[in-house]
Amino acid sequence: MEAEKIIDSLNAKFPDTISDSQIESEKRISAYAEAGSIVEICRYLKDELQFDHLSSETAVDLILKDEIEVVYHLSSFGQPLVLKLKARLPRNNPEIESITSVYWDANWYEREAYELFGVQYRNHPNLRNLVLPDELLGDWPLRKDYEDFPQKTAKNLV
Amino acid sequence: MDTNIGPDEMLIHMGPHHIAQPGPFRLNVKLKGETVQDSDVEMGFIHKGIEKILESKTYLQGIPVVDRACYLAALTNEEAFVGCVEKLAGIEPTERSQYIRVIVEELSRIQSHLLGYGEYTEFIGFMTMFFYPMTVREKILDLLEMTTGARITHSYLRFGGVRDDLPEGFEAKCKEAFALLRRGLEEWGELMKSDTIYRERTVGVGVLTPDTAKEMGVTGPPLRATGVDFDIRKDEPYLVYDDLDFKVCTETAGDVYARIWVRVAEIYESMYIIEQALDQMPSGPLFPENLPYDRRAPVMRVPEGEVFHRVEDPRGEMGMYMVSDGSDKPYRVKIRGPVFPTMQAMPPLIKDSQLADVVAIVGSLDPCVSEADR
Repeated sequence: MEAEKIIDSLNAKFPDTISDSQIESEKRISAYAEAGSIVEICRYLKDELQFDHLSSETAVDLILKDEIEVVYHLSSFGQPLVLKLKARLPRNNPEIESITSVYWDANWYEREAYELFGVQYRNHPNLRNLVLPDELLGDWPLRKDYEDFPQKTAKNLV
Repeated sequence: MDTNIGPDEMLIHMGPHHIAQPGPFRLNVKLKGETVQDSDVEMGFIHKGIEKILESKTYLQGIPVVDRACYLAALTNEEAFVGCVEKLAGIEPTERSQYIRVIVEELSRIQSHLLGYGEYTEFIGFMTMFFYPMTVREKILDLLEMTTGARITHSYLRFGGVRDDLPEGFEAKCKEAFALLRRGLEEWGELMKSDTIYRERTVGVGVLTPDTAKEMGVTGPPLRATGVDFDIRKDEPYLVYDDLDFKVCTETAGDVYARIWVRVAEIYESMYIIEQALDQMPSGPLFPENLPYDRRAPVMRVPEGEVFHRVEDPRGEMGMYMVSDGSDKPYRVKIRGPVFPTMQAMPPLIKDSQLADVVAIVGSLDPCVSEADR
């Protein structure tokens, strides 16, 4: 399916919850989703639009906007397209529904985003730390304010 | 996993240092007799925090760091990282350096598959077999060493090109090594195909169907062994893979035996790609003329933006998601390694199999734990 058709179909199906959808390049599409309806959107993408592969799921800490963005990269085994779906969450209480019911392999990605950023996934089957030791849980080490932000830049190198 | 065990059940911890594991991770298996009831993977024993480290390194300093994510696929990791920066900064590498990159990355795939092949045979108790591929692998590493200066962590790719041109006598040495490798593969193939015990241990063991493999997000040889021809080099061609003739190697059985043959077929295919690349390679400069940064610039401010770049790692789909805020360091880098979802698929895959088969199944997935932990 072509990129334009996918965007049209998404916008028509979710007029209120999908925003800023655009074609970034030949094989990349991006869109913002309302955090509350992420599971329905993913379900629709997987069942109707052939996005049957979760390439990655992660979070980005946008400290200046006071937001945490959860980023899903959905791709497909059949078509060479990657859809970057983002959801904005408030930084003091990042909470979103888990998509493990749609994509089985989101399980570990979500555990990782949880321990590194503190994103709370509702209805996750097993939300506990994956790579970090228990002592580090709660420090959210990949957030930008973990041990002094902004860090030193390379200015002193030149 | 429910750790409560019944009167006739047993909990076994395999690892973090187990003789039959390619890297430190712990596999907790619950057994009833010899049959696996349930299992659970524990990770983080070599968590290096590479994603955080990259945020405090300049782009150029990032190259040796991504090398360390998986020491068997250092060049494809670099390709993903360098490709991200090139896309963000709008740099197009010259044709000659693209060909050189293809050659070194395919060499890296060969050496990784050879280790995977040898290591796997060791896991199932075919100890002698381990040393045959390792001897030839050393010849491939010699080729990489004479080009990049290092055996395992190369730091060879640069934004817009490669550090050095191919050395003199590379082609001749390549031919020599490939002749040795072709002869070896034939011999070992015969050895393994005709071995009844080997077949009994691998045929029909750890079967993945195409649908479950897709559902679990497994990529690379384990997926291709089920018959799905998913290969980033074909689906989303990067570098000059478009101009090269190669096929995606698949099998249909989806079991341990098929996974090994996919790797062997890919070694042949990689050799074919390298020979073509050596023939077709144009002469010319290594770096484009209008490079926006100096080749060794310690500080380069990459325009704001974000990109997701995928390459085909020896183990599957390797993607990096890079966010740049216009400063001299990446704002966020997410490394999406192929082993992460593959390791996640282990517990369902080994369920209901025999304990002795666990090692064969896990070994056949060729997991590089270092990359899953990052």
